[in-house]
Amino acid sequence: MTRRRWFVVPLLLAPGLGLILALVGSVVVIAIGQSFGLFSIFGGGAFSLEPWSETLDRRVYWRSVRYSLQVGVVSAFASVALAYPLALWLRKPFQGAAFIGAVLKAPLLVHGLVAAFLYVNVISYHGIFNQFMQAIGVWDGPRRLQNDPGAVGVYILQTWKNMPFALLLLTGAVRSISDDVLDAARDLGAGTWARFRRIVLPLTTSVMQAALVIIYIGALADFSFQVIAGPINRMSLSQLMVFFKDRGDWHAAAVVGVTLMVLALAGAAVLTLFIQLIGRGWPRR
Amino acid sequence: MPNPATVRRGTPRTPLLVLFALVFLLLSSAFAQDLSDMSWDDIVTQAKAEGEVTWYVWYLQDDLRRAVRAFEEEYGIRVRIPEGTMAGNADKLFAESGRSVGDIDVFAWGFDLYATVELPALFQPLTMLPVDDDRVNVINDVDGGEYVLAYWGNQSGIVYDPEHVAEADLPQHPEDFAAFWNANPGRFGFNYESGGSGPSFYQNVLRVLSGLDFSDGSADSERLAALRPGFDFFNASAAQYVITTSNADNIIRVSDRELWLAPAWEDHLAGLQSRGEVRPELKFYIPQMGMNGGGNGVAIPNNAPRPAAAAVFVNWLTSAETQTMFNRDFGTAPMHALADDTFALVPIEQRAFQVAAAAQPFRDQMVAAFIDEVILER
Repeated sequence: MTRRRWFVVPLLLAPGLGLILALVGSVVVIAIGQSFGLFSIFGGGAFSLEPWSETLDRRVYWRSVRYSLQVGVVSAFASVALAYPLALWLRKPFQGAAFIGAVLKAPLLVHGLVAAFLYVNVISYHGIFNQFMQAIGVWDGPRRLQNDPGAVGVYILQTWKNMPFALLLLTGAVRSISDDVLDAARDLGAGTWARFRRIVLPLTTSVMQAALVIIYIGALADFSFQVIAGPINRMSLSQLMVFFKDRGDWHAAAVVGVTLMVLALAGAAVLTLFIQLIGRGWPRR
Repeated sequence: MPNPATVRRGTPRTPLLVLFALVFLLLSSAFAQDLSDMSWDDIVTQAKAEGEVTWYVWYLQDDLRRAVRAFEEEYGIRVRIPEGTMAGNADKLFAESGRSVGDIDVFAWGFDLYATVELPALFQPLTMLPVDDDRVNVINDVDGGEYVLAYWGNQSGIVYDPEHVAEADLPQHPEDFAAFWNANPGRFGFNYESGGSGPSFYQNVLRVLSGLDFSDGSADSERLAALRPGFDFFNASAAQYVITTSNADNIIRVSDRELWLAPAWEDHLAGLQSRGEVRPELKFYIPQMGMNGGGNGVAIPNNAPRPAAAAVFVNWLTSAETQTMFNRDFGTAPMHALADDTFALVPIEQRAFQVAAAAQPFRDQMVAAFIDEVILER
């Protein structure tokens, strides 16, 4: 490449790539810098490993890491697992399929905060669910379901919110599978499960992978569901970040923020690798 | 080649924009002039010319927007209350303290927090206000001096359901609370974050059980180790009490008859009751072991864009009439000696149990230790 080209090529890339690097890169650089004591909000700041060593030394940090990873992974797999049968059911048009599809996708239009408040109202001590369980004689008295320590509420809300997104992606992928392929498999004696495992799954791997990764990243960074309906004996990473920030400890908050970015990236890579490894084995089984 | 018509149309706008900018700058500098050599009448006149005041306050924004209508009608000055959190507003104040003209006219903050900053570096002296010795500028030994005035007195305590707990049986000391938890499992709850009422409860239990002087802000390992009996106290009865999610959650769950006792702020409870959002029969008391009380204060930043309107607003906010109105509508403890406090939820003798919040940085260390030693153990 001539010297002129060395100059022209970056210049031509600058409007697109430069904007991305400037907008995304500056945020990442500031977060990383702040986690090392730089870019103090009150001015000044000096490089230090102290924010990392202090934060990594906290039990609350490690519990948040484990909990957020758990929420991210469980929510992603639960959403996709629920979306598959629905996508297959809606694969062939039938009367009312469009309406059912629209209803199933409705949670996409409801903000997570609204859903969380609604959920807490339903399961509250004297809420509809408690009243119903007592009315049908299953429970003798009201039970405390709010902020359950097992985070069941968070998983329900995450799955409720993210399943429609997975359904949206998978419906298209499943519909693109030709009837001829499935009929041929049936003619060769493949049952429902075999057709799903050997044909549907391999042909929708890339879409499932995209759904898993996107849902995982969103659920990993959950704040609203956790704050309203989550367990009180642990914090999600986003909640911990806000907790540190509200105490004026911006450097510790940045450490948590950087952790979230790293876990999002690493988790997405691991999920992709996992699905690709599994996917290779599907047709041979 | 550019269209000459376009160029001609654009040209006359440039001087106009420059003129607007100059007028804006002149007005800004005029407004930013020192008010201390102006008479109060002149300040009020200038405030009306400024026409607007921005009050950064982090709670009950909707209710306060309604409450300040009396000021807007009296002076014809519009009050803007932006949404924001306490930490967010404080961050904004600090971040823009280097600007010659900021966005904040009047800044509200927890009174004890003013002790953590250098007041003259951030705020104007309020010497331009009419002299009124009945206003309050000292709460819990924190002296606002010429820079901060209290406008909101608040007290944390315990909200209780008289249907289930008689006044004579109310727990007063840590051992009474433990006895209540064991006799009534799952009927007491408190929050450890998202509001200060729960933290006021557990921190005062820790204070009593440790015997530490919480006005001392030093956070050495010996003082933190002294909190151990308190942590053990909470862990021993962990299954008998509930951890809630916020100040509001505490009150709502008592109103919903799920809990019988929970920490609350007096003004918060009074406000919810006056708006019919929780049962009016709920009652409030300050336990004898003591719980945090204090208030919030207002100050005018050095770079307030409308300092005259800010001064007139602070004068109104801290007046006896407004403090009476706040007591009636929000259940606050009035911050003016001549204000009427007949709507308070607790009798005056219980005010003796008010204590100051633990000093910093000890308080932050205590919160971190409580989360590690009690909350994460659940």
